Amino acid sequence: MRFRAKIVDLACLNHFSRVVNTIAKLAKACTLRLTAGKLYFILSDKVANGGVGMWCELCQGNFFDEFQMEGVAPEHNEIYLEVVPENLSRALKTAQSAKAVKIKLTNKHCPCLRVAVELPSLSSSSRIVTHDIPVGVIPRRLWNDFREPNVPDFDVSIYLPVLKTMKTVVERMKNLSNSVVIEANLSGEMNLKIETDLVSVTTHFKDLGNPPWASVDECQDSAQDRDLESMAEARIDIRKLQQLLAGQQVNPTKALCNIVSKRIVHFILLHEDVSLQYFIPALA
Amino acid sequence: MKSFLGIFRSLPLLEKTVEKCLILLRPRASRLVVQLHCKYGVTKTHNLAFQECERLQAVFDTQRCASQLCAPARVLAEAVVHFPPTLAEVTLGAGPGGKLSLRNYVEDETELKKTMVTELWLAEDEFQTVAVVPGSHITFCLKEFRGLLTFAEASNLPLTIHYDVPGRPVVFTLDDAVLEVHLVLATLSDTESNLQPPPTNGVSHPPAPSDDFADDLESYMIAMETSAYEEGSGAPPSPTFPLRTPHPAESDPEEEEEEEEEGAVPGTPPHKKFCSLFFGSVLMPRGPSLAPTQEVLAEDSDNEY
Amino acid sequence: MPFSAQPPASGEPYVLTASLDNARHLSSLLRAVHFRDHATCFATANGLRVTVEDAKCIQANAFIQAEIFQEFAVQEEAVTFRINLSVLLDCLTIFGTSSLPGTSTALRMCYRGYGSPLMLFLEEGGVVTVCKINTEEPAELLDFDFCSTNVVNKIILQSEGLREAFSELDMTSEVLQITTSPDKPYFRLSTFGNAGSAHLDYPRDSDLMEAFHCSQTQTNRYKISLLKPSTKALALSCKVSIRTDAQGFLSLQYMIRNEDGQICFVEYYCCPDEDITEAKLHRRDS
Repeated sequence: MRFRAKIVDLACLNHFSRVVNTIAKLAKACTLRLTAGKLYFILSDKVANGGVGMWCELCQGNFFDEFQMEGVAPEHNEIYLEVVPENLSRALKTAQSAKAVKIKLTNKHCPCLRVAVELPSLSSSSRIVTHDIPVGVIPRRLWNDFREPNVPDFDVSIYLPVLKTMKTVVERMKNLSNSVVIEANLSGEMNLKIETDLVSVTTHFKDLGNPPWASVDECQDSAQDRDLESMAEARIDIRKLQQLLAGQQVNPTKALCNIVSKRIVHFILLHEDVSLQYFIPALA
Repeated sequence: MKSFLGIFRSLPLLEKTVEKCLILLRPRASRLVVQLHCKYGVTKTHNLAFQECERLQAVFDTQRCASQLCAPARVLAEAVVHFPPTLAEVTLGAGPGGKLSLRNYVEDETELKKTMVTELWLAEDEFQTVAVVPGSHITFCLKEFRGLLTFAEASNLPLTIHYDVPGRPVVFTLDDAVLEVHLVLATLSDTESNLQPPPTNGVSHPPAPSDDFADDLESYMIAMETSAYEEGSGAPPSPTFPLRTPHPAESDPEEEEEEEEEGAVPGTPPHKKFCSLFFGSVLMPRGPSLAPTQEVLAEDSDNEY
Repeated sequence: MPFSAQPPASGEPYVLTASLDNARHLSSLLRAVHFRDHATCFATANGLRVTVEDAKCIQANAFIQAEIFQEFAVQEEAVTFRINLSVLLDCLTIFGTSSLPGTSTALRMCYRGYGSPLMLFLEEGGVVTVCKINTEEPAELLDFDFCSTNVVNKIILQSEGLREAFSELDMTSEVLQITTSPDKPYFRLSTFGNAGSAHLDYPRDSDLMEAFHCSQTQTNRYKISLLKPSTKALALSCKVSIRTDAQGFLSLQYMIRNEDGQICFVEYYCCPDEDITEAKLHRRDS
């Protein structure tokens, strides 16, 4: 098992840092899956996490100048690691003006991801900072726990409004209530609703547009014959939604959500070379 | 001390509004009076209570430290930013090829498996002088060091670090025409070499001037001496500013040495005379950052006069 | 963008309707009196007064004149209700508090009368938020009976001069002592904290002084914890009028200019601290 990668380009480094910061905001610990072409940050759907799931996918070619990996076996050319993304985020924070960053899987006292940062200095030689991040190697028999989640058989899929506006609204609502009802229809309308003993608040977004999923596969049929005006709704934990909106630093070019009535809300944030999926289960 | 600092809390604001600052000591009323004359004719008068106290003075001799290095404060400040703000201690080590390293101190093996270890290497040529014992290393409190660096960086002074073996105090010094700063910190002794007795024989209580400012237990955690050079600087510092009262015992290493010689137990190996202000080897993380702020204060009064 | 969400038609007419181009004009003033959760709103044809009280010792009033609103209609002589101010503020700032140029939240506020909720319709950038805030039985308010004929001393200061003083108040002191006098020290703020005492003196000829009318020397103490909330109003204001009456009651009037240059007022009344006996006052160190 080997892994070694290098980033030289500063823009790529900053982009990668932003992705890692986002992950760090969303998950205390997660799985890092490495394949020849891609990196994945995965939080699997466990009750311990409040049922939240995350799947973030990056094309290594768009970030790394060098990327070599050798999995456990030729026929299973993958590596699964348990990491604390906050550590990775902190390590990359010190690399903001770096000349180069190397990431390597090592095994000194314990399995570590070594992030070696080469910094400019006043003298002829560079300053080198290394961060040894302890990781857990996940054995192959457990890999099945980290399969890519299917896009759920949603009732309504809709593009999200400007995330900044949505974030402010959700933050205010969070002061007033623990849960929020998110509802949307196939006419590009979405509402966020809270209701408590003291107050009820509804924010109406419109003209959002509904993404064309029709051609994807046959499982999306429940959205086919839907009344365009009728709302699909789910009540979710408002902190989880707020965490996603406040934590995301990927500045997606497209952001959408799929609502399965009373079951789950599936958020997808898309950037050229990053995709982040986030699943928030509905409350009873 | 805190109340004194409170007055000078916001430096930018002070620079904008204060025209004149008057500091008076009224021993009979047990009050230190700080009067700030601000713009628009506004006067602020602070009557601060103080307590006289015995001064705890560290006896140390930087000349006898086996290792010494000096670097612009900026280089060291840029080095410590790579460590998390909550980190308690760092280990400074002399590595191969004249390189110096800083790494976060991790207490034990089990912690090591969970904690991210950060290590930074600085080349010899980033320093002004390097005279260190190869392979030597010490572990000390990062918080106080950071505080001193903030001050040193602001005043653009090089910082000299004198250290010996683990367990012996490390001395950080700053020097310029009007100011001499010594910060003495304890270092962790090597867990393997616990044979050494705790360094207790060096703490002395000289009959110090009673106007010293250390006023509570916490200040005993750090011995910070600021003393003004009598010669040199044309602008004498305020004679009423107790922090700057000259302490001849410190500015004259020879004299200090003599004193020590008298007090030393015969047969004690000479290096035992170096002392640590921390009894035992476990550093208390609760020591507040008195050192840095105290320093900034002294600096500010320079500008005032 | 035109206002798209009109209040639903209903049998009962509104007793209060008000609309405002920029909800921040209202929210920033309300924040200046937001030191307790609950507030009493009192609307007349002249405008809206929002009152917050604490410990039967302090009362803050925010006055928003009818002219500040684009529309302000009251169907009865006076409309009074009690409301959760924290909730109201969260609703008013649902689209944020920042003042980016070109973005402002339009507001329409309606109330049907006793027992009905306060309805807010907010709109920004085509997004509409509808809020229904339950109202409560209005509570009896303190009457400070602070009338200008009883005023002994009055000082008008530029707020700038007090802002720093209030931000640096020694919070270990239980009281703030205010001395106003026709002679030295003219106007003095004193604290008596753990570390010692501090005095702040303003000469009467200071450029900060807009007006100085002191007929006799007065020294009164006020609980610092009660006065601290007034810092919020001080921060927004350009001038402050400090008045005391014969009983030592304190009135702080803050003149606040909003982004459009309109002027509003926030007023704080505070009782003197009765625990301090005359004897103690005379023993104070100077």
